[in-house]
Amino acid sequence: MATLLRGVLRPVRAFQGRPGPAADVPLRATSHGAGLLYPEHIRTSPLQKALLAAGSAGMALCDPYRHDMVAVLGETTGRRTLKVLRDQMRRDPEGAQILQERPRISLSTLDMGKLRSLPEGSLGCEYLRFLDVNRVSPDTRAPTRFVDDEELAYVIQRYREVHDMLHTLLGMPTNILGEIVVKWFEAVQTGLPMCILSALFGPIRLSAQSLQVLVSELIPWAVQNGRRAPCVLNLYYERRWEQPLKALRQELGITEPPMRVEGLD
Amino acid sequence: MAAPRSWALWSFCGRGWSRVLPGCGLPGIRSSWPGGPLGARPLSQEKRATETHFGFETVSEEEKGGKVYQVFESVAKKYDVMNDMMSLGIHRVWKDLLLWKMRPFPGTQLLDVAGGTGDIAFRFLNYVQAQHQRKQKRQLRAQQNLSWEEIAKKYQNEEDSLGGSHVMVCDINKEMLNMGKQKARAQGYKAGLAWVLGDAEELPFDEEKFDVYTIAFGIRNVTHIDRALQEAHRVLKPGGRFLCLEFSQVNNPLISRLYDVYSFQVIPVLGEVIAGDWKSYQYLVESIRQFPSQEQFKEMIEDAGFQKVTYENLTSGIVAIHSGFKL
Repeated sequence: MATLLRGVLRPVRAFQGRPGPAADVPLRATSHGAGLLYPEHIRTSPLQKALLAAGSAGMALCDPYRHDMVAVLGETTGRRTLKVLRDQMRRDPEGAQILQERPRISLSTLDMGKLRSLPEGSLGCEYLRFLDVNRVSPDTRAPTRFVDDEELAYVIQRYREVHDMLHTLLGMPTNILGEIVVKWFEAVQTGLPMCILSALFGPIRLSAQSLQVLVSELIPWAVQNGRRAPCVLNLYYERRWEQPLKALRQELGITEPPMRVEGLD
Repeated sequence: MAAPRSWALWSFCGRGWSRVLPGCGLPGIRSSWPGGPLGARPLSQEKRATETHFGFETVSEEEKGGKVYQVFESVAKKYDVMNDMMSLGIHRVWKDLLLWKMRPFPGTQLLDVAGGTGDIAFRFLNYVQAQHQRKQKRQLRAQQNLSWEEIAKKYQNEEDSLGGSHVMVCDINKEMLNMGKQKARAQGYKAGLAWVLGDAEELPFDEEKFDVYTIAFGIRNVTHIDRALQEAHRVLKPGGRFLCLEFSQVNNPLISRLYDVYSFQVIPVLGEVIAGDWKSYQYLVESIRQFPSQEQFKEMIEDAGFQKVTYENLTSGIVAIHSGFKL
């Protein structure tokens, strides 16, 4: 904490993230002008990141509907883990392609007509069904803002957009229980501090019955599958829409969930 | 980047370079000015007129109004919560002090500009109601006999508990006004209160209508502060008072450092965590730095025609109350 404060009590330049005021350099690079690595980027000092991490963790616990707080927690705590994930993606051929081509999953990039015409049981069809049944859209993901590296910002954005794919793969709905199960899977797969924290603290808000089901059956299943499957960030989902979901699950070693989670909370 | 900011200073200070003091609240601005004041760069009239500051950004004047509107539209719902969080509740004391300085008597006509969520208006109503009740008690004690009309009125609850006082809350932003109206309903304020949508630079009122004009934490968001001051002068009755509560320059260097750290490090984070809005609160702390110092603002008020202009620093100058009279 002392180092954080010291870094910040130096004059204005501390929170510019720039070496020092020059005649033509804007005084503030945080939310506008030069110095931004990607459009939504907001430069933050180490102290701000620490405060954001603490604040977002607390707020996410108090109000679980603040998904943006979970996102901010992930961005501010995940730097080291994102580097590991990115390096691991580079080593895998499909992952390296993703890093190069930077595909995005959003309503504007998806060809909804084509997806709807796909055969029953394919990844694309099941994904659409998941979106319809749970009434979610891929466009509700907040853009990355607090990651200070452009490639890592893409990695965490990709992780967020792939989250819905994981719901489809694991067959989990978007109620609190389903989300926790997916978080356990992600925690084992990615090791992101935000996933680990959510997995450990999310269950606080569950009823006793759901908690019992979670601990006795769902968590062991999620952890087992998480360990067995290769990293899900390495899958180029946009090229696998036609692949039957069952075949994809077999390829990844993901088994059927031990019970239906819909309607439980 | 330095040039536009210097024009901005010029345009809102409304004066020559000599007035723009080093302690203008823009850290580092000294080093980024080319040479002395104005340097060797003649600025054309048109260029000066079209650009201004939005926090530390430079925007055109037409844009600024719209951008400020969006900021307040977005913060309206959590405005009060955020005020409490950011100032640790001290903003309540500041607003109370503004009322105590005002010392309105029953019958005062108040115009509260940029008063969106009603903080000043409600305090005013409480104050004059308390004054009126005290006055009535004194009258009762002085002469124990009330006339029949007065007794009848008391029983019918017809008498005006405010003694004729009235507050008009004017704000340019619909969302802020809506929040204010909701609060008024929730807290039971009905009499003596009116809500009007209006622009501080062009008030929808006739001249010489009000006894007191207040603007609390609003004038730094106005694009043309001089116009707002002129409008204030216009709508006040002769003998009327102008009161402005606004963030200002801290005079103590140590507190100034701490204040800067708190403003730039903590406040945007609070905005993100509580309201999900980093950028609005970044704008807020930047706009505070862009506002003229106590002395400069005093001169601007004098320029608009007010006399006996004074200011009082609160909390080491984090906030200042400026007061002037239309004589």
